Amino acid sequence: MNVKVAASPDYTLVTVEGRIDTTTAAEFEKSIMEIIDGGCTKIILDCTALNYISSSGLRVFLIVQKKMMSIGGHFRLSSLQPGIKEIFDISGFSAIFKVYADHDAAIKG
Amino acid sequence: MDKEPITKILQVNNQIDELARVAEFLEELGDDWELPMPLVLSLNLVLEEALTNTILYGFDDENQHTITVGFSFDGEILGITLMDDGHEYDPTLKEDPDITLAAEDRQIGGLGIFLIKKTMDTVIYQRKENKNYLILTKKIKS
Repeated sequence: MNVKVAASPDYTLVTVEGRIDTTTAAEFEKSIMEIIDGGCTKIILDCTALNYISSSGLRVFLIVQKKMMSIGGHFRLSSLQPGIKEIFDISGFSAIFKVYADHDAAIKG
Repeated sequence: MDKEPITKILQVNNQIDELARVAEFLEELGDDWELPMPLVLSLNLVLEEALTNTILYGFDDENQHTITVGFSFDGEILGITLMDDGHEYDPTLKEDPDITLAAEDRQIGGLGIFLIKKTMDTVIYQRKENKNYLILTKKIKS
């Protein structure tokens, strides 16, 4: 798994690549929490290159969402691969996350 | 279909870093059995969820244990059987999470078994001779 961060005045773009699973979820959580602890309240997570997620990864997504809601921030997801989208649908996560088709749509909100 | 099923066996130690080897094994299995990549990723998810539970919570001692995972495919039904010698635990009894709740009411975690049930067509648990068997099947659309 790789996480890249690009901050702009309006939001922080986080790009995640690879797998968020039992062995990488903690590292992913740490990366995102550092961004939030650094004062960022708007995160767009580009999932174009995220090709696998398990319940350990979903757990982190929910933690981040709850955290963002508690500080009045937002956490937007863009460009989910079909397999990931399916897992979001099964888990009911499609209803609790703001999921956008692409980066531009996520910026517009 | 009366085709003789093809089979393969994977043995996994009770260590979380074994999951990387499981993913590699599944990629090879997918190539050998000509399974589509989305299905291979689904099976990887199922195995990760089942094995993570067993590795982290299934054993009452610190000893090394082997979990045996058997695969079979007859061209129509793909079967996976996990066998371990941990304490008795029937994951099929776990209550499903309420997936209609809002984010603030959703509990953190508890999705693993649910994802297995939703991905596979049948999920059966058996306890025989002090071993846990989790028997999973999925019909493969051709």
